[in-house]
Amino acid sequence: MRLLLLFGVALLACLAIQTTAPLWSPVRALVPNLVVILVVDLGLRHHGALPASIAFGMGYATDALSGTHAGLDALFMTLVYLLTYEVSGRLMMTNAIVGAVAVFVGSMITGAAQIGVGFTRGTPSGFAELMPMLLVQAAISAALAPAIFSALARIKRALGLRAIAERE
Amino acid sequence: MFISLHMLSTGLGPGAVASWPGRMLLEALRPFQVATTGLAESGTSLVHDYLDLVNVRKENSKLKLELAQVRTEQTRLAELEAENRRLSELLELRQALGVSAVGANVIGSDASGFSRTLLLGQGTDGGVESGMAVISAEGVVGKIIAASAHASRVLLIDDHNSALDTFDQRSRARGIVAGVLDGGLVMKYVGRTDDVKPGDTVVTSGLDGIFPRGLLVGTVKKVGRDAPGLFLDVSVAPAVNFRRLEQVLVITQTPPKLTSGKKPKS
Repeated sequence: MRLLLLFGVALLACLAIQTTAPLWSPVRALVPNLVVILVVDLGLRHHGALPASIAFGMGYATDALSGTHAGLDALFMTLVYLLTYEVSGRLMMTNAIVGAVAVFVGSMITGAAQIGVGFTRGTPSGFAELMPMLLVQAAISAALAPAIFSALARIKRALGLRAIAERE
Repeated sequence: MFISLHMLSTGLGPGAVASWPGRMLLEALRPFQVATTGLAESGTSLVHDYLDLVNVRKENSKLKLELAQVRTEQTRLAELEAENRRLSELLELRQALGVSAVGANVIGSDASGFSRTLLLGQGTDGGVESGMAVISAEGVVGKIIAASAHASRVLLIDDHNSALDTFDQRSRARGIVAGVLDGGLVMKYVGRTDDVKPGDTVVTSGLDGIFPRGLLVGTVKKVGRDAPGLFLDVSVAPAVNFRRLEQVLVITQTPPKLTSGKKPKS
């Protein structure tokens, strides 16, 4: 329940930033994908049905404020969660670098999914032009990830939440 | 004692002049007195200057604060004036169109950044519903795709999922204006024989039952005839700068659908 509450509040904050920051940011690509960072943190440190459901819910919440295809972000956020879950299960240890790499890959996957949907709808051009934007956004998200992981870890400690492998 | 009494008695009368020791003393003291007076004046001036400086510093700080407040107020007034101008334009537009509409503030953008949507601070409580047209003083903005009680989402016309029935105002050539992934608009399904030129104005046809007829969509930027196929490759520059949108108008009354004029057979 505490995990749900923590990630619910963090999700609201992240979505508020992601939807308002583009209004004053000169370049949209400079606004990071903060929700992916939350999903990666879940995948690396919280395993079980509840964290997976939270990841899906975060994707669905993003869908409500983004794009036109309900379920697209939900699908890809769950995929990112499963990927990071698998990675954390196979590595001896997970640190901020691993998390940052996972965020970069996750951000690329979710962004490419959004662009890919437009591409499949017969849009004449734009995929190549959007790739640099996608890379920049993923890189910024990855750079921010360690600080957010650290902040989340501190809040979890304060809330008495235990991370990793202990089934939620 | 006697000398002093004598001196006192002889010097009492009116107009009595000072004795020579007194005059000598007066002369001898004069330079010192001048110097002392000068010094005292300088000292007083220094003290006054210092006190003035302290006061000036205080006054300067106060004036700086007042200036900052005035500047803030001026910025706020300029912002209010700009908002007032935009709202007046929207009001004029609403009156010109003769439709019922509600104004809404833009409160957010798309969460992912790869779709072109905006969040509005007006929802079903304000009469906004899914499918309604959104316009600004510059032209067509988009269509409401979701609405909650106090907020709604607009799909902008430059999103790759958007399609809008339009025509060239000069030649009346029809086409569907759609968004492209990297921004901008294209006018699809314009026949190769149609007369479309760069600089032509593209307006809504009103046939979609969402947007009133004749609203400005954009200007033809480029017409490509080189590619094979049945249709022209027409690029359109949108009339609205979607990044600068702050207030929009949501048309709450959809225009009447065009009919053939014949009564349906019963």
